[in-house]
Amino acid sequence: MTAAPVFVEGAASLYTRCCAALARLCLRLGVAGMCLLVVAVLYQVVGRYIFNNTPTWAESGAVLLVLYVTMLGMAVGVRDAGHIGLESLLVLAPAKVRVQMERLIHLLVLVFGLVMAWNCGVLAASVWDYRIPTLGISEAFKYVPPAMAGVLVALFSLEHLVALARGTEVEPSWH
Amino acid sequence: TEFRSADIHPDDYPTVLAVRHMGETLAKATGGRHSIKVFAKSALGNEKDTIEQTKLGALAMTRVNVAPMNNICPATMVPTMPFLFRSTEHMRKVLDGPVGDEILRSCEAQGFIGLAFYDSGSRSIYSVKKPVKTLADTKGMKIRVQQSDLWVALMEAMGANATPMPFGEVYTALKTGLVDAAENNYPSYESTRHFEVAKYYNRTEHSMAPEILLFSKKVWDTLTPEDQKAVRAAAKESVGLMRKLWDEREAKSLAVVKAGGAQIVDVDTASFRAAMKPVYDKFLQDPKLQDMVRRVNDTK
Amino acid sequence: MALTILCVSFTALLLLGVPVAFSIGLSSLATLLYEGLPLAVGFQQMISGMNPFSFLAIPFFIFAGEIMMYGGIAEKIIQFAKSLAGHVRGGLGMSNVVACTLFGGVSGSPVADVSAMGAVLIPQMKKEGYDADYAVNVTTHASLVGALMPTSHNIIIFTLAASGKVSVAALILAGVVPAVILTLCNLAAAYWVAVRRGYPAGRFPGWSIVAWSFAAALPGLFVVAIIIAGILSGAFTATESASVAVLWALFLAALVYRRLTREQFLKAAAKAVKSTGTVLLLIGISSMFGYLIGLYGVAELTGKTLAGLSTQPWVIFLWVNVILFVLGTFLDMAATILICTPIFLPICQQFGMSTEQFGIVMLINCALGLNTPPVGTTQFVGCTIGEVSVGEVMKTIWPFYGALIAALMLVTYVPAFSMALPNAILK
Ligand code: NA
Ligand code: NA
Repeated sequence: MTAAPVFVEGAASLYTRCCAALARLCLRLGVAGMCLLVVAVLYQVVGRYIFNNTPTWAESGAVLLVLYVTMLGMAVGVRDAGHIGLESLLVLAPAKVRVQMERLIHLLVLVFGLVMAWNCGVLAASVWDYRIPTLGISEAFKYVPPAMAGVLVALFSLEHLVALARGTEVEPSWH
Repeated sequence: TEFRSADIHPDDYPTVLAVRHMGETLAKATGGRHSIKVFAKSALGNEKDTIEQTKLGALAMTRVNVAPMNNICPATMVPTMPFLFRSTEHMRKVLDGPVGDEILRSCEAQGFIGLAFYDSGSRSIYSVKKPVKTLADTKGMKIRVQQSDLWVALMEAMGANATPMPFGEVYTALKTGLVDAAENNYPSYESTRHFEVAKYYNRTEHSMAPEILLFSKKVWDTLTPEDQKAVRAAAKESVGLMRKLWDEREAKSLAVVKAGGAQIVDVDTASFRAAMKPVYDKFLQDPKLQDMVRRVNDTK
Repeated sequence: MALTILCVSFTALLLLGVPVAFSIGLSSLATLLYEGLPLAVGFQQMISGMNPFSFLAIPFFIFAGEIMMYGGIAEKIIQFAKSLAGHVRGGLGMSNVVACTLFGGVSGSPVADVSAMGAVLIPQMKKEGYDADYAVNVTTHASLVGALMPTSHNIIIFTLAASGKVSVAALILAGVVPAVILTLCNLAAAYWVAVRRGYPAGRFPGWSIVAWSFAAALPGLFVVAIIIAGILSGAFTATESASVAVLWALFLAALVYRRLTREQFLKAAAKAVKSTGTVLLLIGISSMFGYLIGLYGVAELTGKTLAGLSTQPWVIFLWVNVILFVLGTFLDMAATILICTPIFLPICQQFGMSTEQFGIVMLINCALGLNTPPVGTTQFVGCTIGEVSVGEVMKTIWPFYGALIAALMLVTYVPAFSMALPNAILK
């Protein structure tokens, strides 16, 4: 055995481990975000009934926060194969064609991730100077989660491509 | 070219009809080279979406209220201010005059050509349990508002509890008492059937924030100066029709809500006007905008 | 031409096996490119589409459902259903229908319902001599009813898709009678098949056991009451009531049933985050698609085509049902609702159907789609649990399908089933 394949193999497994750690981190952040969301909306109820003063930032804050939770969840979904699709043709195809098809699928999702990251970056730049009503922060924060998620989707699709090349499977990250 | 223009209102709404009319005028003036296709009923997104699309050049035009432009183009704040205009005539005169032109021009730096102002009527508070006659009546009232700093501040200045809430939930919220009141113009009060649950239409007329017709700077720069002139002229020309249609629409809605049992309540607006100072202090810190307000007040 | 690109690329991607959300997204992007529009517009619509405040109810309903599943509430409901219906012929089948319907009401998600109830009931039924295909069909069909009940996030999605023309309260009330009809049809189908196959009957445990198990399940079922009462009384908006439901579910699972450990709470929350990502991504991507539908005037085109087919309302409604059903077999529920509502609601209204009734018809059609290949999410989960192939389940699905389609026809052609309750209470 030559040194090169060993090195490639090592790099691939390191990449997989990094992605797994990244996915775990995403889910933990997502869980924290989800709990914060519940608290924010409950606080709105409490504000209205107990302080007779509806905290107006709670709504806009929650609406922004849900984007972060969603985008984290959807990126991890790409890694854990959580997004449903049609499998009949894949199942019917012979093994060799099947691998090619899977490769193409992951490649397409990867492209989508990159296009999403780039364009959400464009949108963030275009609304940089505007403020979100009642929060007072830049509207660009709305487009940060999808831009980030786009990069994550690309990374996780790449992980699937690497796994296909190595003949292994991506293990779901956490739970 | 066929310019795409967006609107959130249904096909028979005055703003939609007016932009269609503008398209016909434009086609005539340019010998059929340019025309306008209106996408009504939020087909291309809400007002904020279409503003962004216009900026990106994906849309040539959009018709929106000035309120969602406040963040983007500060001068649009002026006609949004509560209790600014004394009457519809006053509002029309100001917007047709130098102050109106100045506001339209100020959008250019942000990527928009301001073409014209359309009417949006005046917004008033409608309540379920008791009428609003003076400032004292709004104290502690839970009033549904749209998600905006200015509206929240306005309601706070009235001593009310501003409750932001999605538009589609307002009917049930009024019915169940989740909110005591909401606010809008006659046509919306009618078309949402809110008059069935909130009987008192209290003519606070706290806002006359107009609609604005925006053209994309990106698309604009591809037009010849003559065509640009033709677009501007067609837009200005459509304003007259729009106002006529608007007045008819308002009268029709008023008749419907009255027949439906709504009570139109006259309000002592002076007490409200006097309470607005904190709102003006908070939102109009720019001396240039303060000067504009002065000029609006001086317009006879 | 542009529409051809949209449809052909979407179908090709879907057939290739690209997940539904990305198939819709990529075909929309291709069409935007063809049209010469900035791709950023598509993503702007995506974010704007998943961002209204009312959609916050979606993660909350999903979260509450997950907590219920891990928190022992599911088992209490199963025990109650078994004590109630176990003694009839095919008793476990009947209990299954009751349990799935009740838990569907609590969790609001047919998929969560099948995973929670099916995991316990399907193996149990197999052990007692029921065929796997029957066990799976009973579970998956009963779970669909949950889509019509108060905790259903699909109700929230529909009210948004109908652009504020209908309130959550009205739609919840409109769904009550149809949900009962669906359940009765499910029971009839389960019973009929059980009799024909000669399945066993259990023993009636006596009313005191029924009462006890009901008392044990009641706090869990109470979540539905919180939502209905909260929204109808005006105490909460739909979103707020959903957050209260989360709080209640947590309280029950952690303090009353004492089944929720920290580890399990994290598990439930992590699953909720992933499901939220999947559902809201589909919603956002559907708005991207919806932008093109608006741009090319598909609603008007479809309306004209349908109106040209017939002037009889019943023919139009039948066509709409067929189209919704077919689309529902390919698309996920959320996507079908968001894409089809703006297209078909105007024409149905024109022929005299109210928004609420249309919403219920739409929800039932989408629910049926969940049990139909090629993309049948709940069916897939059920088959995995029952260790049986989709093909085998499909062979004996007809009584259950027939029952639900009969219920769908009743709801489509008798407006009173959906409208009587909202009219009586809200008007
Ligand atoms: Na439900
Ligand atoms: Na399906």
